[in-house]
Amino acid sequence: MDKRKMKQAALLLLGSTLLLSACSSGGNGNGNANTGNEGSSSAAPNTSGTEEKNAEPAKISWLNILHTASPPTDTVLDKIEELTNTELSFSWVPDASKEERINTSLASNSLADIVTLTILDNSSVRSALKSGMFWDVGPFLDEFPNLKTISQDVRDSASIEGKLYGVPFQKAMARNGVIIRKDWLDKLGLPVPKTTDELMNVAKAFTEQDPDGNGQKDTTGFMDRSDLVYGVFKTVGSYFGVPNIWKVEDGKAIPEFTTDNYIATMDYMKQLYDNGLINQDFAVTAKTDQQQKFAQGKAGIYVGALFDSKNLLNMSKGVQDNMELVMVNDITAPGQERGIWAGNNGIGGLLSFPRTDVKDEAELKTVLNFVDQLMGEEIYSLMTYGIEGVHYTADADKAVTITDTTLWQQEVQPFASSRPSEVGYTIHDADPLKKEADRLIADNANYAILNPFYSLESATWSSQGSELQKIMTDATYKYILGKATLDEFKASIDKWMKSGGSAVISEYEAAYKAVKG
Amino acid sequence: MKESTAAAVPLSIAPVRKKRAAYHWKGIRRNKLLYLMILPGFLYFIAFKYLPMGGLVIAFQDYQPYLGVADSPWVGFKHFIRLFTEPTFMMLLRNTLVLFAMNIIFFFPLPIILALMLNEVRHRFFKSAVQTIIYIPHFLSWVIIVSICYVFLTVDGGVLNELLASVGLPKVSFLTSPEWLRAMYIGQIIWKELGWSTIIFISAITVVDTQLYEAAEMDGAGRLRKMWHVTLPAIRPVIITLLILKIGSTLDLGFEHMYLLLNSLNREVAEIFDTYIYTAGLKNGQLSYSTTVGLFKGLVGLILVVAANKLARKMGEDGVY
Repeated sequence: MDKRKMKQAALLLLGSTLLLSACSSGGNGNGNANTGNEGSSSAAPNTSGTEEKNAEPAKISWLNILHTASPPTDTVLDKIEELTNTELSFSWVPDASKEERINTSLASNSLADIVTLTILDNSSVRSALKSGMFWDVGPFLDEFPNLKTISQDVRDSASIEGKLYGVPFQKAMARNGVIIRKDWLDKLGLPVPKTTDELMNVAKAFTEQDPDGNGQKDTTGFMDRSDLVYGVFKTVGSYFGVPNIWKVEDGKAIPEFTTDNYIATMDYMKQLYDNGLINQDFAVTAKTDQQQKFAQGKAGIYVGALFDSKNLLNMSKGVQDNMELVMVNDITAPGQERGIWAGNNGIGGLLSFPRTDVKDEAELKTVLNFVDQLMGEEIYSLMTYGIEGVHYTADADKAVTITDTTLWQQEVQPFASSRPSEVGYTIHDADPLKKEADRLIADNANYAILNPFYSLESATWSSQGSELQKIMTDATYKYILGKATLDEFKASIDKWMKSGGSAVISEYEAAYKAVKG
Repeated sequence: MKESTAAAVPLSIAPVRKKRAAYHWKGIRRNKLLYLMILPGFLYFIAFKYLPMGGLVIAFQDYQPYLGVADSPWVGFKHFIRLFTEPTFMMLLRNTLVLFAMNIIFFFPLPIILALMLNEVRHRFFKSAVQTIIYIPHFLSWVIIVSICYVFLTVDGGVLNELLASVGLPKVSFLTSPEWLRAMYIGQIIWKELGWSTIIFISAITVVDTQLYEAAEMDGAGRLRKMWHVTLPAIRPVIITLLILKIGSTLDLGFEHMYLLLNSLNREVAEIFDTYIYTAGLKNGQLSYSTTVGLFKGLVGLILVVAANKLARKMGEDGVY
């Protein structure tokens, strides 16, 4: 080979390797959503001695939301695979980035056999559902023993234009409430607050009377985060009688922020802020910071999901060892009836099955059968508490005590949000705080404030909802932090109306009329 | 008449064109190795820069992923009309341009000044030590930088606010005040990128002919004079080139950086095109609309870079192309 030829060959080689590497990196980018937890399939289920059908395990992929820091290890997964005779591969989407990840997956059609959709009010998710991308499972549910038990109410709530595009997650109706440092209350000789005024007084005492006894004024009443819904604002709003996003009066749709109750709630928050009874940077505080600061004893009142109490107590071990917590769910404002907003009317989202991945009815039934099995008590306890003897012990009453919290957090907790149903099981937590939280959450259901338009359709809201929401969220923060007057807040409402809000109102009114007649 | 000219033009040009084509082809064959070397880069640009541009058509559609480009309905300029009539548009444009102008005015000259100062340092070890240290922040991600700032600036126990409080001054909520956003934004950019940006200027300065300095010294020029009359004119082409490139990326203010700083209370000054595209497009799923916003952003960038280049050429500089 002469020199020139060699040069050419070398160049060609260089060129082609560059090209190849370019191609492969491109491929990786697209395939990301599909690469799941493949390590799981290598661990063969140990089926000796059990009455297993010898059928080939069904291969099911699941695009799922992850609420914990890292995905679960294989222990529980293997068990689920064994019990359901499936080979599962998960693609975990962190909850914090679910909107962009789910939307890009929808847009690029890189989905899985099962897709967990929790943001049903997101416009692209909604239009994807309506476009017929997913199976309408309504006609099939009654063929399966557990799925059959999903009540008609839940099915209606989770339907879009009369079609049920997935198996609804059944959650507790309303899980929010107030968690207070019991040891601080006792130290200052205060009773558990029952009204918003008493709650304010407790916050004041926690701020000013040195409840941790270190001689420094370094505590606040509330510890909140930058979230008007899952933080303090919406729950306190319920105590002030604010409707859950919408209310209907004489066929007229009224958005929550036009009510006087909403303004009263803002004033309450403003008072907390102005008097330093709440962490001053709550508008930029993340959830993890909020919980950590509470666990470190920097504040005494936490508003959020009632079952957070157990986590908070766990987090405080070694930092605030004398922490005792009390949960309250029956606070009311003067002249208001008791109520608590219901998150998505008790629907946690849908387990949907895209037609591109689940090709025909036979495949759909395989996947539905799998979901049906997930709803059974055995797998529920597996996904909630783990494996008996490894993660927990249970007494004759089926009261469960988690024995290894660290292991449970790694191997079991990530599955918690994958349970199709969280209600109606006999197995329960023996932990007194968790038990009390469960009791109060069940009690909340009797006072739940529903969103009357949850399952209704507004085209404008579907396409511009998040931007409209942004207008009011910003305005609310500004009012609370004293950066806008009431007039300016009302100007924001006008802006909301003009930017599409009035169209949303009339669309919802029409849809409501069509349903209720 | 129309017909005749139309027919005449190709006739007269055709032979010349043919000749030219043949000439070009010859040139390509003669230098085929060189062209072969270009090929990978060329293919890269085709595959990853030009082909994806086809996706811009969805700006003129109501794109729905399930239907695909082929079946999504065409809507003409609907999304453009929405963009230009939306009240947020002026806010986005204003914020983007203000931050860009601040970037050019406050940030751009700093690396030049720093490079000049470093050039005057005679102690070699000291100079290289300083250079190494000031490059470090460049390698930190925005998440880390914004988090550090958060810890320093938060009202709940932030170092700076504790300091203010200890000397009896009122606390300042830097993180939630629109007034502080821009200063914070530019300050963070300076902190992160200042050192790194000096690299090109320092290397440009090192190639300046030392005879010029000697000549200037003979004429009695001091240090400042030498800087002004020798160094700066010598690196002027580099400065102009970088300025044009910078203007080209006008509207790329850095999504990640701004997204981390953005919150409900400073949105009126902090929302820029990049963050808006993210919320409207990816989070809200309005793919067509956000493509429109992106396309507009790209067009403005193109116009600015062409204009800046023209201006540079008019002023007797070379420009970038």
